[in-house]
Amino acid sequence: MIWVGWRLQRTEVLIAAAIVALLAALLVPTGVEIASTYHRDGLSACLGQNTSDGCNQAIDAFTSQFDRLRSLIAWFTLVPGLTGVLLAAPFVLELEHGTYRLAWTQSITRRRWIVSKLGLSIAAALLVALGLTLLETWWHAPFVHLEGRMDNSVFDSEGTVIFGYTLFALGLATAVGAVWRRAVPALVVAFAGYFAARIFVDTWLRQRLVTPLSVTWPVLVRDHGGPRKGGEPASLNHAWVISENPSDRFGHPVSVLAGFCSKAQVISGNCLPHKASGYMHVVYEPASRFWLLQGLETAMFGGIALVLIGFAVWWAHERI
Amino acid sequence: MSSSAVLETDGLGKRYGSKWALRDCSLAIPAGSVTALVGPNGAGKTTLLQLAVGLSEPSAGSVHVLGRSPRAESHSVLPAVGFVAQEHPLYRGFTVAETLKLGRKLNPGWDEAVAIERVERLSLPLDQKVGKLSGGQQAQVALTLALAKRPELLVLDEPIASLDPLARREFLQSVMAVVAETGTTVVLSSHIVADLERVCDHLVILALGRTQLVGPIDEILASHRLLTGPRTDAEAVARVHEVIREEHTERQTTLLVRANGHVYDSRWQLNEVDLEEIVLAYLGHRGSAPMSHETFREAMTG
Repeated sequence: MIWVGWRLQRTEVLIAAAIVALLAALLVPTGVEIASTYHRDGLSACLGQNTSDGCNQAIDAFTSQFDRLRSLIAWFTLVPGLTGVLLAAPFVLELEHGTYRLAWTQSITRRRWIVSKLGLSIAAALLVALGLTLLETWWHAPFVHLEGRMDNSVFDSEGTVIFGYTLFALGLATAVGAVWRRAVPALVVAFAGYFAARIFVDTWLRQRLVTPLSVTWPVLVRDHGGPRKGGEPASLNHAWVISENPSDRFGHPVSVLAGFCSKAQVISGNCLPHKASGYMHVVYEPASRFWLLQGLETAMFGGIALVLIGFAVWWAHERI
Repeated sequence: MSSSAVLETDGLGKRYGSKWALRDCSLAIPAGSVTALVGPNGAGKTTLLQLAVGLSEPSAGSVHVLGRSPRAESHSVLPAVGFVAQEHPLYRGFTVAETLKLGRKLNPGWDEAVAIERVERLSLPLDQKVGKLSGGQQAQVALTLALAKRPELLVLDEPIASLDPLARREFLQSVMAVVAETGTTVVLSSHIVADLERVCDHLVILALGRTQLVGPIDEILASHRLLTGPRTDAEAVARVHEVIREEHTERQTTLLVRANGHVYDSRWQLNEVDLEEIVLAYLGHRGSAPMSHETFREAMTG
């Protein structure tokens, strides 16, 4: 059965491996460049809380240099969905082409066939997820040193979530395909479902999984202006800032001149009206919650994936 | 319930949604027989065969293969059953050799000698992708896969429907050779009657989801007669014999009957009737919607 299972899905597994190799071909050279720039500019010396203006300029230069590359790499967050649905294809094709009637009338039981076939898909999906996670974690490392890993673009490609995402896409495609028995439409629908679920979690659900913390601190405006990082509480270091609202010194909310302020300017209070002193209120998830949020999200996607795969097994076993 | 029945169904039915694909089907296929399951498309042939090999589960009644339930006890039934599904599905990307390897890996009772002997005799190219073979060769590969299991029951669903006449003949010769050699029980479905008489010794006629006639072919041939006589209604005959089909012209009446003993009325001229004629008659019988003779013939010849 192992030989048969491998022979039946080696094409898809090899394509998935080729996708990972393709990403590696893009990530490895650029990652090497990023890492060497990081070391050349001596940015590791700038990791403290209160840093010099020279450091801030160096960090700004560094991040803006790789800005476009990073927004390109951010799209790689679709790859778990792509490889997940791809690895579901052999199972769905079996149903579409009717070859399950051949497979299920050999001497092994239908249950064993389904379990070993999907087991192989799951194993391949986990391997692909491992490759993606290792590559992206290494690639993001210099940025993580500077900015932490709570931002969506990094959070989505580190830790354990990629395993959950890949399994979710695999499970969704398997379940839809088991019922529909048409590979192409099932995979397209599953990929769209993956995309929608990810957007929903990234933009709405994740910040509600664990009640965020909030912090308020007085903002002091320096007379000669200029952005500065000082004044921000240490708990916000590398944190995921969900919302930030300035108020005047009586606690009444004031509106920042939205669109004109950089984050640094807002934090330093330079965008407050009349350069008055006041307070900044920030709602955030601290960097220390990285693994908690990773665990929750991985369990959520992974759990739904197992339910979907279980449904597909049941459907194929009882309803076909 | 005969103990020598390899395949036995009792009140077997299968429903898809609200539609019955097969209903109230009771039959027993004796060991060593070669049974033709005939009927037009949509008659329930595939449904019956898929129930027999455990690909689907009965909605009503029961089916037993070698005394066991093919679905609930698939681990013990499957090794004893060789099945070639309709349109003989195979992995098109596999070579012939890989297809045989699949059979070897998935069947503990695999007989490599049977497989190799057949592949050589039929000169099937081992390195060729199955998808590149002709329809006849694909059917032979599928049959090889089923035969190398050394099955006690061989089930073939429309094995010759998609084949050209030459491949059809070769395929049926293969089946006959196996039967002669191993005594395997064979059930094959077909909507083509013409070639079956030489191969099969039992007949099951299925139409509209129900069995219309079950029995050994020689008995069926012996008991059916075509009566031709002056125009009359069939009532008198129907009291004794079963009238399967009646046709009236202005001056004469033709009845196809299943004779219950001898026909004594001298007004009737008795003629033997061939199997295809009998099958066609049954397909228009018993509650089925009236269809013209031509429509049946079309249905039967695909």
